[in-house]
Parts: sequence; structure tokens; C-alpha cells
Amino acid sequence: MEPGLLKSADWPILIDIYFFLGGIAGGAFVVATIAGFLDGQRYRDVVRTGYWVALFAILPCPVLLIIDLGLPSRFLNMLMVSKPSTAIGMSAVTAGPLHLKPYSPMSAGAWGLMVFSACAFVCAAETWLADRKGRASPRVRAIAGVIGAAAGFFLAAYPGVLLGATARPLFINAHWLGALFLAVGAATGSAAIALVLGRLRGSAADMALAPVMRVTSVALVMQIVALALFIVSVRSAGSAGVDAALSQLLTGSQSVPFWLGAVLLGTVLPLLLQFGVIGHRVSQLTALRAALVLAGGFLIKFVLIDAGQATVGGPG
Amino acid sequence: MARQVAMFTDVSLCIGCRACQVACKQWNQLEPEEPEWTGSYQNHAHFTENTYRLVRFIEEPADDKVEMRWHMMSDVCKHCTQAGCLEACPTGAIYRTDYGTVNINQDICNGCRYCISACPFGVVSFNHATGTATKCTFCNDRLHNGLGPACAKACPTQSITFGYRDELEVKAKQRVEELKKAGVSDAQLYGADQGGALGGLNAFFLLLGSPSKYGLPENPRLPQRNVFLDSLYSVGAAVAVGLGAVFAFRSRGEPDKARPTGERA
Repeated sequence: MEPGLLKSADWPILIDIYFFLGGIAGGAFVVATIAGFLDGQRYRDVVRTGYWVALFAILPCPVLLIIDLGLPSRFLNMLMVSKPSTAIGMSAVTAGPLHLKPYSPMSAGAWGLMVFSACAFVCAAETWLADRKGRASPRVRAIAGVIGAAAGFFLAAYPGVLLGATARPLFINAHWLGALFLAVGAATGSAAIALVLGRLRGSAADMALAPVMRVTSVALVMQIVALALFIVSVRSAGSAGVDAALSQLLTGSQSVPFWLGAVLLGTVLPLLLQFGVIGHRVSQLTALRAALVLAGGFLIKFVLIDAGQATVGGPG
Repeated sequence: MARQVAMFTDVSLCIGCRACQVACKQWNQLEPEEPEWTGSYQNHAHFTENTYRLVRFIEEPADDKVEMRWHMMSDVCKHCTQAGCLEACPTGAIYRTDYGTVNINQDICNGCRYCISACPFGVVSFNHATGTATKCTFCNDRLHNGLGPACAKACPTQSITFGYRDELEVKAKQRVEELKKAGVSDAQLYGADQGGALGGLNAFFLLLGSPSKYGLPENPRLPQRNVFLDSLYSVGAAVAVGLGAVFAFRSRGEPDKARPTGERA
């Protein structure tokens, strides 16, 4: 019998880029909101930078998703159709022409992306108005910040859950992809903020850099833990399809970008740099670390999706 | 809801004539395709956007280890009671008909292709001409006009039969008993049991040997069963990272010259 009757969606790199940018946007927004609530004055640069990074990262996302569709003109069907039916899945919710399927991460993700984008716009606009026109609206920003932070975590994590809800052997047996993608989102989001803060001159920006990089380190630790749990949970499933996909990732064609790029350069090295340079003023190294974290975060998502989509092995 | 219908494919009766494959293509007006060399009589290797019924040709060494033995199996969408494609579909294009079958509404599908990777059997295909996902419709048009699917109608050996699900299930169980009495000890049903995997398949099979011989998963799972647990772990990670970030911003672990230590907003 020929191996692997399963099929792959064959999502192109557009989707990897979307997952990457969505993670950055969600992570940066969460970091900005937390910093703003803890000390809005002291971390003013983090808040402003975080919200603007979130907005700029999320802007191309709908475009990437829409041009990937077989029929881009029907993109709105993700949210609404003229007559939604109740026979479209478990716990499907319909209201007028709108529908939400909680067990379809793509359906939930489309809504999450919309809610997040709205919050990112409101928060970025609020910081702009406060800075340029002196018209701060703390209550509006607080409400949009809390809703957007929840949506931001969701936006970073849901692609992992989405992959886990496919029949691909590498994904269906993994329960930690959502947690992993969330950690990558937080790491890359905070690294993106650090990268911008490093370019801003001024003592306030310098002062904010250290805690932002500490957030990156927390997220990187979570990233390593989730990655290890992912590999362990998949390996313990032990079917033919799983073994083939996992060996492609760990020892096969994806092993070099995975181990060298994603794990060593993208995760371990930035962590080592963090612990090795405490107390020194090394803004150049900060930029390097942030860039490594961003590249590593993209590589983790890219190699996992690639290994999971490759047509190898039998059913999972 | 109308009475549930089903298709029963008995591989012990299949002679590999592919009348079902041809009838399916003809009735559903599926485009001709370039033949694909699979090393056997099977054509194509997988379901395609223009092949909804596919006769699989499986060769295995016969008992004497000299000759080869043929297994022919006419494969089709299983119209699962718990359907991965239907649950995955974000647009609601994939729906369950009142007969219990699973269909893709071509006027709603936007070609996101999530259903393709969510099908445990690799049934759904992407049609590049229409930009949508396609698969066996259980001949929905025939069904709603009192006719069975074209493949079942065309099958000359009654390897494929169509009927009400409850009746067909009884017949299938009787057929297994018959075969076992005749000495075919490896005859077994796949997907007939409504308490089994995926809540039972509405196109179920009688196989000679293990499902894996035919490339079918031994224990197919609904991928969306993962959503709750995966989300729970994600929430745990969000709490951990969120708390970590709070500590990172409150910590005074590094020299802080701008403001006196201990000051909080």
C-alpha cells in the first residue's frame, strides 16, 4: 500500500508569514498593555512602541490571508454568509448572517483577528492623540487594551491550536503547539519592541529596554519548555506517520534549520546572551539578540509547518 | 431529519472493473485527467478534484508466497458522523444534509483548504479550476430525487450497495457472518458501528484484513477533539508568560538610575 493517504492543505509561505506577524502583533500588544497598567509614565515608550508595532504587524495580515484563498472575493464568508445553517458543526453559533464555530480554530481566528485589529487601531490612535494633540483617553485605552490583550494572546496561540486540529500526524498528536506559538509570539513581540526601543535615543527608552528584554527571556524559556513538551507528546504517540514526520524534523531535511536556526541561534543563544551581559551597556548586543529571537521565532513556525505538511508516512 | 442513508462497499465482491469510478465521473460531469502511473492498475494514487470514487488496487503475496493476490477496494468519502472537514470549515460551506451525508456548498466555499488537512482519510481535494474544495457529494442531486448514488447503481457485482443506514448495517453484519462461515476469517467491517470511531461512517466497508492494508487509519480520530485541551494548555502558557512579564516590569534587578528604587506608580 502506498504510504500516506492523508492530504495536505499545502499552505504556502504566506501563511507562515501571517502566523509570524500575528504572533508579533499579539505579543507586542500584550507587553504594551501590561507595561501600561504597571507604570504608564515610566514605560511610556514601551506602551507607545508596543501598540504601534502591533498595528503595523497586523496591517498586512488580512491581505496575506485573503490572497491565499482559492476565491479571495469570498473572504467575508469566514464571518458571515447570507443564510447560515445550524448543520455546520458542533456548537456552531449563528446570529443573523454571522456565524462562529468554536471548534473550528480558523473560524474563531477570523473573529479574533478582527477584534484584535480594532483594538490595535484604537490603542495606537490613542497614543498618537495623547502624544501629538495632548488628548489622552485613558479609559478608552484601558478597555481596548484589556480586550486587545486577550485577543492578542489568542491571536498568537490559535494558529498552533489550528494546526493541532488537523489530521496531519505531526500535529494531531501534539497538544502543545498553541502554547508554543503563544510563547513564540510573546518572545518575538517583545523582541520587536526592543529592536525599536534600541533605535530610540533617550534615557526613558534605555531604561525600558532591560525589562522588555527580560520579558523576551521569560517567553524564550516558555518556548523551550513548550517545544520539549511538543516533541515528547508527539513521540509518545508513536505511529508510522508520526515517526516519519518527526524524524524529518529532528534528523532529516528540516533538522539543520530546526536545531541550528530555531533552537540554537533563535532560542538558546539569546538566552545565554541575556544571562551573560547583565549590568553592561550593550545596546548593539540587544539589537542582535532581538534580531536572533525574531529570526528564530519565524524558523520555529516555518520548519514545524513544513515538516507537518510534507507528505510522508502513513495515517497518524 | 430524514431517515439516514448509507453506502456499503464490500471488497470481497469487488472485481476492480471501475464502473463506479466511471459512473461517478459521468454523472458528476468531472473533467478527464491525465492518467497517473502508480506502479499498478490503480489510477490515480489519491482522490483528486475530478476523482471522487477511486478503486484502490492492493497487491499482496498469496499464501504460497509465489503468486500475488489482488485486493480491490472502491474507496469514497466516508461521510463521517463526526466529520473533520465539516468541523474545520470556517465558512459553513460544509454541512450535513438531512440524510446524514456531508456536502460542500460550492457557492459558499472560499478555498481556504483547511478541510483538506482535517480529513482523516485524505478525501477532500482542491479544485484549481473553481478555487474551491471538492469531494464526493453522495450524488446529492440523485439522493434528493429518490435515486441512489451513481457508483452504487453502476456496480455490476453489488460490491457497492446503497440503502437506509440501519438496514444496511444489519446486512453488512450478516455478510461478515456468511464469509466467516465460508472460511474467510479476516473479514471485518470498517465504520459500520455507530458507536465506533467518528460515530460511524455513512459510507462503510467490509474489508479482508486490517484497515492499514488498505491505507485506512486503524483508529481514525476527529482532529477537533484536540481543540479544548490545546486551548487549555495555551491559556496556561498565557498565564505563565503574562505573570512573567508582570515580574519583568516590576523587578528592580538591574541598576535603575532614573528613579529611586521602591517607587511605584
